[in-house]
Formats: sequence, structure tokens, C-alpha cells
Amino acid sequence: MSMNMEDNRDVLLEVKNLKKYFKVPNGYLHAVDDVSFTLERGKTLGIVGESGCGKSTTGRAILRLIEPTAGEVIFEGRDITTLNKSQMRDMRKDMQIIFQDPFSSLDPRQTVSQAIEEPLKINGIIKDKNERLERVMELMKTVGLAERLVNTYPHELDGGRRQRIGIARALAMNPKFIVCDEPVSALDVSIQAQILNLMKEIQEDLGLTYMFITHDLSVINHFADDIGVMYLGRMIEKAPTETLFENPMHPYTNALLSAIPVPSIHNRKERILLKGEVGSPVNPKPMCRFATRCPYATEQCFQEEPELIEVEKDHFVACHMCK
Amino acid sequence: MQEKDYMLKIEDLSVQYITEDEIVYAVNGINLNIEKGKTHGLVGETGAGKTTTALSILNLVPDPPGKIITGSISLDGEDIISVDDQGNSYPAMSERQMEHIRGNKVAMIFQDPMTALNPVFTVGDQIAEAIQLHEHVDKKKAMEKAREVLEIVGIPGSRADDYPHQFSGGMKQRVVISMALACNPGLLIADEPTTALDVTIQAQVLDLMKDLRKKYDMALLMITHDLGIIAEMCDEVSIMYAGRIVEHGNLEDIFDHTRHPYTQGLFNSLPNIQDRKSKLKPIRGLMPDPSNLPLGCSFCPRCDYATEKCKTEPPQKIWLSDTHYVECHLYDDGSTESKL
Amino acid sequence: MSKANYQDVQKKYKKKSRLSEIWRQFRKNKAAVFGLVVLLIIILAACSADLFWDYQKDACDLNIPERLQKPSAEHILGTDEMGRDILCRLVYGARVSLRVGICAATFALLVGGTLGCIGGYYGGKVDNLIMRVTDVLLSIPGLLLAIAIMSAFKTTEFFLALALGISYISKFTRIVRSSILSVRDEEYIVAARAIGAKDSTIILRHILLNCMAPILVQYALAIGTRILSVSTLSYIGMGIQAPTPDWGNMLSGARTYIRGNSYLVMGPGMALLLTICSFNLIGDGLRDALDPKLKK
Repeated sequence: MSMNMEDNRDVLLEVKNLKKYFKVPNGYLHAVDDVSFTLERGKTLGIVGESGCGKSTTGRAILRLIEPTAGEVIFEGRDITTLNKSQMRDMRKDMQIIFQDPFSSLDPRQTVSQAIEEPLKINGIIKDKNERLERVMELMKTVGLAERLVNTYPHELDGGRRQRIGIARALAMNPKFIVCDEPVSALDVSIQAQILNLMKEIQEDLGLTYMFITHDLSVINHFADDIGVMYLGRMIEKAPTETLFENPMHPYTNALLSAIPVPSIHNRKERILLKGEVGSPVNPKPMCRFATRCPYATEQCFQEEPELIEVEKDHFVACHMCK
Repeated sequence: MQEKDYMLKIEDLSVQYITEDEIVYAVNGINLNIEKGKTHGLVGETGAGKTTTALSILNLVPDPPGKIITGSISLDGEDIISVDDQGNSYPAMSERQMEHIRGNKVAMIFQDPMTALNPVFTVGDQIAEAIQLHEHVDKKKAMEKAREVLEIVGIPGSRADDYPHQFSGGMKQRVVISMALACNPGLLIADEPTTALDVTIQAQVLDLMKDLRKKYDMALLMITHDLGIIAEMCDEVSIMYAGRIVEHGNLEDIFDHTRHPYTQGLFNSLPNIQDRKSKLKPIRGLMPDPSNLPLGCSFCPRCDYATEKCKTEPPQKIWLSDTHYVECHLYDDGSTESKL
Repeated sequence: MSKANYQDVQKKYKKKSRLSEIWRQFRKNKAAVFGLVVLLIIILAACSADLFWDYQKDACDLNIPERLQKPSAEHILGTDEMGRDILCRLVYGARVSLRVGICAATFALLVGGTLGCIGGYYGGKVDNLIMRVTDVLLSIPGLLLAIAIMSAFKTTEFFLALALGISYISKFTRIVRSSILSVRDEEYIVAARAIGAKDSTIILRHILLNCMAPILVQYALAIGTRILSVSTLSYIGMGIQAPTPDWGNMLSGARTYIRGNSYLVMGPGMALLLTICSFNLIGDGLRDALDPKLKK
């Protein structure tokens, strides 16, 4: 167990300079570019960003579902990027993932019980058929799935129930850490709230650590202790949730916060409308990646890539204007 | 109420999808009127019947299995769906006339801009084709106009010669909007126009739609599940649940004087960005199966206020004010105060 | 919940059997059911041939006095140029055709399927190599390849099946590979890796089961075309050799007498037509029945 002695924090996961480049016909697509963060046990880190910013790739690279190009992922003191295939399979018991789309992340030919028991079966955790079913029933109860659904197929169920199967499956092996990759964005609002509450309860009961990936800032503010904002493969701002909402520093974070339509007809704030479109992550030039859309961009922003620096306690920003 | 100048009038519309195994009750007797130049929001979750309602207006409900059972629809005074003496509904115009109406009087934009454009033609060609279908102009004129409408939605006219794959998602949705606008329709139906887009891009597109609506004085039917978008865009709101409009009113009625338990439930399940400490209160249970709706109020199984009456008797429309109605037994006694 | 008992729960919420569900869907397709019935009749006839005839005496030995008799009560389809009962030879011929057809298709499925699996799942250089080899195989007309193989080896049933199988391998490689590619990037495959599943588990349990439909359909069609090829090869003398009865060499033998005795070709011709049609119809029916999303 890695203990950071200085401030006595119980760090579960540390990501250092994680990079993932994909080869494309005209160069390299920098999906994740030099992302670093630490995550304490029992806490939730929110990763926010728009499509193509590399948030999902980050989550999958941490679990090595995609092999990272460079960087270290230190889980409980072990750099898991150096593990071989079978060691990694062992490691997966502790690190799980919940997927965005409950319609495509379940094998259409597995029944509910088959899907939930699969991790227990293939890892040889519970060998006895009866005991395994007992555990499946227990998990179904935990995630709020009725017993009678045990032998139904995913296509017979609605999105909310499917997502519950996904959660039960992730919980089956008693993991310590779960990457939640947009777990509610495919669901209807009333179901969204059910699933969010469920995930929160489970976290409290089991002491789980979450990395919560989403494009929706309003979902995450109920959930995360810290939030990292990503833009085109870069982490551009990272702060405790409250700080980020009250005092967002990066112009992009500001725009993102103001762009959320507020379901109220009072105290409507003025919106920051960004001009232009998200740039291309293929062979990015050494400049601020947000500069082309940034209302405050200066000469410097087009020539130099800003580093992520701590501007106040625990508040990191990558912007030339915020030094 | 005095007769207003309505762009769209829907009365008692019911649509069912009839297959050999079951009947799906998609829309079950809704009324919906939109005045000229106003924006009407239609809110509901998956399967509430929003899209079916929109397709009925264009007479594009896939038949079979879809069937308009009852109801009439008129667009700018012209009947699209009428009722005969026996009370059966039938399309009031030929398919040719309907084709003329689509595009000229009413246009629709769909949720996914990625699939709405044909990848083998340039966007200019596609817009020009839409224009030529409705206006008798030659190819060159149509192309000129295509460039003009692209400029209107904020895309340089020179990009008319580009193919759809050269545009990003937000740009494609703009192209789709410009196509819909090409013939100045009196009513634009937008079915979740920004759901597939990122928030910052969504903000841009919504802003654009607001501007255009004002500029062309179009009526807009905004179909969405996002109450935030409604608050921003709409004049009137209808909340749809299991094929019925359960609450209807202007923005103030719905947002500040919420009366229906479902509407309240929707608000409570939304994470509120301005108040991050509030706990989410989800609506329990699930949307009923539209092929097997409850006998009484369809929201009854999920409702915290349900009584015996709710189980057996479907609620009637109760007007709480000139603009605000609700379908809920809680207000049967004639009171207009909130019972929630 | 107290102690869950496997049997109890399974009994209480009985799993719908997948086979019965597929059968229910399959039954809806009348043409497919017709194909299945025809095929079953042919198989049944082939199996029970020995009850009515003696193979050596009725199907192979010459019986010149009774040659070229028109259909009658004694010989329902008449007799051939050697005086043998045509119906009898047809039924024995079905045995050979089905046996060789099924063996060839199965061989192609196993070899082509394995290659397709490896190429589709792992991609990269292995895939490239496999695909180039199949390209080469595809560039040679199947029948020519089979003829070449048959002329190099003995004309036995074994080599016939082998030759016809080899010429069909590339088709299966392509079909299996493309269906695997379409499933490989589905999220549930990533999900399976996330819970620590091995490659073999993923391929066998998740990928292959989910692309069963196109593969089975192709298999049914393959048997049909292989049977046709058996007959073709036999017809030109490169397949089953007389006196062993086969539909192809029956047609071949009949061609000299076709002017006066057209009934000679009716039997084997119809047999081929019905068999191949029924395999095609069954293939179509399977395609619809195997799609889990179509289930109501």
C-alpha cells in the first residue's frame, strides 16, 4: 500500500504522464496526452470533457483495456503497466469498469444470471454452482434487480435494469476501484437519478473508489470529490468539486459550466458562447489546444503549450492567463 | 378563450402500432395547439410518444404497423388528418399534396445529424435539391439559395461544395437546420435536435435556432427530454407521459407552479447545478409498457399520491387557469393550489 | 434472501430454452419448414433404403433385360440404360451426395472457420497472411481446384469431400472473419476482457456464439452447393465412379438416351433441385430465427 507520508493521504491510484496515441493515416492521434493525477481510497474523481477529449480512453488505458503508449499507472503501489497478461487478469479483480451503453455492453446471448456470474466463474472465485447462484442473488438484491429476472435476457429489459446488471457484474469480484464510463448518459432522467443514487449507496457501503467519466457537469457535482476537466487529450483544470464550481479558472471550464441549460426560469446567467469547433487531436502543434476557441487567447497561447500548475491549494490549471 | 391564430392544431390524436402480437398504445388522445411564431416544448422520456406525435403531423407514421385511430390535425388551417362521420380518422390529402406541405409548411429536424445527410452528395447539392422540390427554380438559382441559407446558419457559403464527412457534428446539425429552413416553413419540428451534440456545441445550436425563429417568425415544436432546454427556448410546455399530455402550461406554470406529480418527479430527478447539496429524488419504478397500460392513470403505479380512484379511473383534463391544465385526480375537487 | 438453492430458483423462474425459441421463430417461415420437411423425407429415404432394396443387386449390378423401361407400377421411375431401378439408385445416390456434401461443408467450416477466427480476432500480420492465402484460393474457380485435386489423387469419396471442402475454405474464412470483425468491437467484448476473460473464452463464448447466424446460414448453403458440385464432378467423370450410384453419374449415363427416354433425367434432376432448394430455404429460415433481437 502506498502511503504518501507528507500529508498522510491514502493513495489508491496514481497515474503518471499517461499517454495514448493512435496511429492514423496522417500521423498520430493524441487521444490522451500526458495526464497525471492521484486518487485517494474511497474518493471519487470526476473526469469531464466533451466527445473526443480522451476521457474514455483515459479510463480504459488505466485498466489496460487499451494499452497505454507511455506513462505509469500505480495501483496500490504496483505499476500495472509492467504486468504480464496473466498478472493483469489477476489485477482485474480489483479494478472494474461500468460501461456507458447498457445496450451494447451486455452479451445478448447471456441471461442476467449468466452475465453476473461470469466473472466469478472464469476467475474460479466460486466454483460451486449453488454458491455462485447464491452470490448472484445477493448481487441482484444489492443493485435492486428483482429475483424473477434471473433468467431473462438483456433485450427483454429496459436501460435502467440493464445498467443494474452492468453494475452487479462489476461488483461481483469485490473490486476496490471502478471506472464508471458515462454510466447514466444513455438513460432517461428519472432512471438516471435512480442509478446515481444506487451507485452512491454502494460506494458508501463497500468503500469503493470511483473514477467517474462524464460529459455532464451537472451529474458529477453530486458525486465527485475532485474533478478533472479534459480538452483534446489534455487535463486542463483539476480541483476539488466545490472549488471548481465556485471558482472555475480555465476559460474552457467556464464555458462548459455556462453552457449547461438550467432547468429553471429564474436567475438565468449569461452564457459564454464559444466560437468555432473543437480542433483536431491529430499531430497537435505545441500551443494551447483551446486557443482557437478561447476568447482571451494571446500571442503566447499560440506559441507555447501551458503546463498544468497549482495556482492555489489543490487547484491546478493549464492556462497562460491564470498564473 | 378567444380563437387565436394557430399554426398547428392537434385534437384528440391517438396513434397505435398494431402487430400480430400486441397493440402498442403510443399516443392516447392528445390536444396540442401552437400559435404562429411561438415555441412549444414537448417533454417526455423514451417511449412517451413524442416522436410519434411529430411524425403524425407530417403524416409519416410508418403504416403498417402504425395507425392513426382518432383525431384531427390541421396545419395553418389546412386539414392533414380529418375525422369522418363514423369518428374514424383518415388522411385529408393525397400523398402529392402532403409532399408539398412537407418542407413548405412544416419541416422536421431529427436527433442524429450523422445519418440525416447523404454521404455521396455535397451539402450544397442536398440543400439545392430540397429547394428545387418546392420552388420552381433552376439548378443554378437553387445552388445560390443553398449558399445563402448556409450563411444564415453560420457556415461559409463556399463550403457548399464539401461533403458531409468534412463537417463536424455541430456543423452537420447546422446543415440539417439550413435544409429545413430552405423553404421557409411556418412550423419547424425539432426532435431532440441537440441530444447528439456536446454541451458547448449544443449552446451554439440552440442560440442559432432562437435567432432564426425570431428572424423568420416560425412556430417551433421542440421535442426534448431536457427541461433546461425548455426553460431556455419555449413559450409553452406540454409534459407527456405514456402517450398523454399530463400537464400543460406556459413556462411559469410548469416551472414555478408545478402541479402534476410526474412533472415534480422530473424536476426532482434532475441534478441541480446551482444547488449541489440537494439529494436526487428519483421517480420510483419504470415507465409502463405501452402495450399494457394501467387501467386508470398511467402514472399511478409510480405516484406517491396515488389513491384507489387513480387505479381505476383515468383522470380528466382540469384547467387550473387560462393557460395551465393538468390531468390528475388530486385536483378533482376544483382547487388550484398545489397538492404536492 | 435466505439460502438460494440452484434447482429451486431455476425451477421457479424457468429459463426459456433457446432452442425452442429458435424453433418457434423458424416455424413461422413456411418456406423454411417446407424445405426442412423435404430434406427430412430425403434423409429418411436414404436411411431406410436397405429395407426395400439390396444395394449390390438392385443398384449396381447389370440387369440388361429390363433396361430402359418407362415408369410403371413395378419401377415407379422406370429403369436406366443398365436396367437398374432408377428410384433405387436415386435413394442410394442420396446417401453418397449427402455424405460427401456434409463432410465437405463441415471440413470447410472447421478449417475456414478457425482461420477466420484467428485472422478476425487478432488482426495485424496474421490476418494479412491468412487473407492473402484465401485471396489466392478465391482466384481459382472452385470447381477447377477440385478437379485439379481429384486428378492428383484417387477418385474416392474421401478425396472428393476433401477437394470440395478445400475449394470452399476461403468462403468460410471470409464469412467468419467478417462476422467476427463486426462483433469484435462490441462493448461486451471489452466488458468480457475487463472481468479477466481469456482470449479463448472470449472467442468461443462471446464472439462465436454471437455470429452463429451468418455462419450457420452459410453452412446450410454450403451443403447445398457441395452436393451440386459432387454431381457436377460425377457428371464429368471426376467424382463418384460407376457403378456406385450418384445423381451426377446417373445424369451422365442418361445423356445418350435423353431423346427417346427423357424420364431418365427427371429423377436425378428433381432430386438435385429439391435437395439444394431445401438447403437454401432452411438457410433463409435460420437467418431470421437466429437473430435474438427479433424475438418477441
